Amino acid sequence: MTTKKRERLEVIRDILNKVKESKQIKPTRLLYASNLSPQMFKEYINELINKKFLKLEVDENEKKNFTLTKKGSDFLQEYRVIESFVENFGL
Amino acid sequence: MDLYSLLIGNKYLLEIIYTLFIGLICAVVVLKTDRFFRLSLHQGIRYFRNAFLFFGLAFISRYIFGLSSDLSITYSCMFGILFEYLIVMSGFFLFYSLIWRNFESANSEYVSSLFNSRILVFHLIALFISLLDFLFGVYYFMFLSQIITFLFASVIACLNYKKSGGKRKFLKFYFMAMLLAFSAWILNFLAALFFDWNPLLLINIGIINVTFFLLFLFGVLKITRK
Repeated sequence: MTTKKRERLEVIRDILNKVKESKQIKPTRLLYASNLSPQMFKEYINELINKKFLKLEVDENEKKNFTLTKKGSDFLQEYRVIESFVENFGL
Repeated sequence: MDLYSLLIGNKYLLEIIYTLFIGLICAVVVLKTDRFFRLSLHQGIRYFRNAFLFFGLAFISRYIFGLSSDLSITYSCMFGILFEYLIVMSGFFLFYSLIWRNFESANSEYVSSLFNSRILVFHLIALFISLLDFLFGVYYFMFLSQIITFLFASVIACLNYKKSGGKRKFLKFYFMAMLLAFSAWILNFLAALFFDWNPLLLINIGIINVTFFLLFLFGVLKITRK
């Protein structure tokens, strides 16, 4: 059985949703949850950090965790609107 | 004095209001969709935004072109070519926003959506069409290109609507908008070819154009307000 390849927008939604659900999540766990190759994961994560959708926090034990920013949370809310726009305009 | 006579009598005022109104609609659509594009980097939204950017610029240049009696012949010609180029490109962008998935990966990113290799073909065709019209002193090449473009766009919009099974309500209006644009270009062609730019016919074409833009404004505002 083949599954439809996720689009960029869907990948971003899935990553952000996972971080939102977990409140904070380790990079390795997010990589597994995202179902992406390490290379692709790195590209998406860099983009999401650059866009300030995600924040990488390092705690006192030098452990890294991703958290969702306000902008990332706003994006998740807007995602449905963007998705509806794309579908309604046949884009 | 009936309404049409009143409108024809105030042609220049009407032109200004018409241009400003459509320019304003295009500005709203461009700003709303640009925000969506920046958030999502969705190529379809990007091409759709470009279409309205070019529509807006075309109508502004058309207005300046309309003032050609006050301009030198060189400027008048320049704006004529510019207007045709912009309006043809806007049609191409709108059409391409419907079919881009067949030519690009949804995950591909271009540095520029205005000047990438695929869009360059459209630029060249648009430039060629506007230069042909300029050389022959007609508008027929522009009309024909847009009639063909919107015919295909209408077919795609109809298929999209049928495919959605009526779930996506705006697809019906989108299809209607494409049919309106298609009919407006046919009427333009007829007005130029057989009716010597009959002012009454031009007013009706203007009404169709305004309806076309209002439909898109309605769609964009309705969906972005959710």
